[in-house]
Amino acid sequence: MSTAALLSTDTIEAHAPSMVSNVLTLAWRELRDSLRARSFLLYSLAFLALGLGVSYVSAAGTGSLGLSGFGRTTAGLINIVLLVVPLMALSTGASAIAGDRERGMLLFLLAQPVSRLEVLLGKYIGLAGALIACVTLGLGACSLVLAWQGGTTEPRTMLWLAGLSILLALSMLSLGMLVSALARKASVAVGTAVFLWLALVFVTDLGIMAGTLALRLPVKTLFVLTLSNPLQAFKMWALHSIDASIDVLGPAGLYAMDTYNDLLPWMFGASMVAWIALPLVATAFFFRMRSPV
Amino acid sequence: MNTNRSILASSTRRAAIAATITGCVNLFVPPSLAQDAMQPPTRPPAAAPTTRDSSGVEINAGTLGTLIIAAKTGDTIHVPAGVYREHIRIDKPLSLIAEGHVVIDGMASGDIVEICAPNVTFRGFIVRDTGIDLDKENAAIRVLADHAVIENNTLEDILFGIDLKQASDAIVRGNFIGGKDLDIARRGDGLRLWRSDRTLIEHNTIHDGRDAILWYSQNVTVRGNTSRRCRYGFHLMFSDNVVMENNELTHNSVGIYLMYSKGVTLRGNRLLSNRGPSGYGIGLKETDQFSITDNLIAANRAGVYLDGSPFTNLKPGDISHNTIACNDVGITFLPSVRGNIITANNFVDNIEQVCVSGRGELRGNDFAANDRGNFWTDYAGYDADADGIGDFAHESVTLFENLLDREPKLRLLLFSPAQQAIEFVGRAIPAIRPEPKFFDPAPLTAPVLNVTNSGPAPSRLSLAICGLGLVSVASLVYFSSRAFAVTTRRKGAVA
Repeated sequence: MSTAALLSTDTIEAHAPSMVSNVLTLAWRELRDSLRARSFLLYSLAFLALGLGVSYVSAAGTGSLGLSGFGRTTAGLINIVLLVVPLMALSTGASAIAGDRERGMLLFLLAQPVSRLEVLLGKYIGLAGALIACVTLGLGACSLVLAWQGGTTEPRTMLWLAGLSILLALSMLSLGMLVSALARKASVAVGTAVFLWLALVFVTDLGIMAGTLALRLPVKTLFVLTLSNPLQAFKMWALHSIDASIDVLGPAGLYAMDTYNDLLPWMFGASMVAWIALPLVATAFFFRMRSPV
Repeated sequence: MNTNRSILASSTRRAAIAATITGCVNLFVPPSLAQDAMQPPTRPPAAAPTTRDSSGVEINAGTLGTLIIAAKTGDTIHVPAGVYREHIRIDKPLSLIAEGHVVIDGMASGDIVEICAPNVTFRGFIVRDTGIDLDKENAAIRVLADHAVIENNTLEDILFGIDLKQASDAIVRGNFIGGKDLDIARRGDGLRLWRSDRTLIEHNTIHDGRDAILWYSQNVTVRGNTSRRCRYGFHLMFSDNVVMENNELTHNSVGIYLMYSKGVTLRGNRLLSNRGPSGYGIGLKETDQFSITDNLIAANRAGVYLDGSPFTNLKPGDISHNTIACNDVGITFLPSVRGNIITANNFVDNIEQVCVSGRGELRGNDFAANDRGNFWTDYAGYDADADGIGDFAHESVTLFENLLDREPKLRLLLFSPAQQAIEFVGRAIPAIRPEPKFFDPAPLTAPVLNVTNSGPAPSRLSLAICGLGLVSVASLVYFSSRAFAVTTRRKGAVA
């Protein structure tokens, strides 16, 4: 019996695809499924519509004057990205594991000769691909509208914005998947994700504002608090990429420029990469611990 | 060696004297002497009266000095090309004209050219390397008499550039003035006027200096100059009836700063990217009877900064037909400012269009004259009767901006959705709605066209290509997932 068992495991292992191909297969499946999902289509359409609206309206205002610079267009696009991309990524991530677990899909997947880490990475890469498609489609269409309207946004700005939006999407996807790995039910996971979105987009910023006004926070504390929010790190990095300075952000921005100067992009990057990596590691940990049912 | 030098010096002198004796008004120095000028001055010609300047260098001790000493009132000296390492004093009405590449090198000490007689013309020289003594105000060209013409000179590596002290009716034209590479606190003024009335300052370029400053100088015209990377592009102190037009002031700490002056006209200037710690395009402190028209004021920290201006109620401050665009703040008012009429300006995409620094309401400033207001890119009304005037007044009621005016640190959270949330709450709940900061009763619905382009606009083609690239990334992801779906289905069929 033991020999037979050994033999059979041997044959299975011999025929089992490598980790990379496992991950890729799972990723493709996840990508295809999410691109077909109705919720994802809705998010994409919302992002596209808002972005196009902002581009159309703001380009019409300044085009006639031929002034370039940091204008309403970029500010508006940063705003839209901050609003839509985290919501999209968080809720996508949140339904990734919890939904499959509820449907019994996770049990089925893990019964295949794949490891849990492979399942997790496959899901992450597949969903990331879908988010990248959504972000590039949205901002690409905005660039086309701006070009058609004679807007004065630089192509470089749009490329930076797209790249940074993808980073933002990845960090929010990590966070969403952590929620998903922890939650018992899909509905709880999505609810928590929406709550997190609200917290990151509005509540923390409002809290920082209130704190600054009430406690007279020094600029350094204000800057560090703001930097620790991935959304604000994205915003500051986007501004920094446009004119190599965040002095447009008033005294705290000037302080950051004076104190950290060349380090600033690295600090923004570190904040965002930490928000991608740490939740993902935590997700892997909890996903391994939790039962697939 | 020593004898050789003295022979050279005396030969120079001989030539000069010979020329004067022959009665030539124009004093041509033979080109062979230009090489002599390369020699550093060691000692003065025996007969010449010499003095030392504050840095201890003897004045008029070199070839040029000898020419000046030898010249008669009203002479024109054509100086041949060469490098002259000396300090000179022009103490009689002369014209010094550089023929070709004439360098006067100050050898990193003291002042270089001092003009202390009226009616001196000084044209076409390259004057370089003054001392760096701020106390002694080491200057490339110091003018101490009236009716000087300082034209087409290049001043480089200098502490103070052109320093007019009680030198009225001068013309300073076409000079190129570049400061020393020092930090801003140790630099001197590229151009300084002290009690020098009716001066014409035209087509000069000043860069990397401290200020171009007018002290107590009346009826000065400043026209077509360029200033960049200085502290204050132009700075007026107690200088009345000054006209500044068509100047271009970029990347200075402050573009134009008017203080305690009256009757100042700023017209057609371009003030771009002045973003020092205060960073005003145009700053006005207790300035009276001013008019600021047809200027392009863009990408500064604050486009216009008004502090106690106009100072009296003799004439309202006139701010009209300007384009104020893409600044962090369009116009900053200190709360006590009143008596300005702001009309027919374009307020384009300033992050904050109007700021009342330190809270407060703008009273006694009008944002419209003769039923014409300003063009605001954030105007939300419409123009049903198509008369070019919006049907609703433009009021700025923004809670977040009020917070910013109170606590500037909060600018760190600009452009975030929380900002919109606060604005929305401010509009929705009357109890916390702030008082309107200002009120434009007749906002224009189309920009007032008076603007020259601020630079090459990025090409639309490259933006379109960038857009296509981004869209193609999206479609690549989409179609590859479709392709994968097809292959898995086929595999399934085979199995």
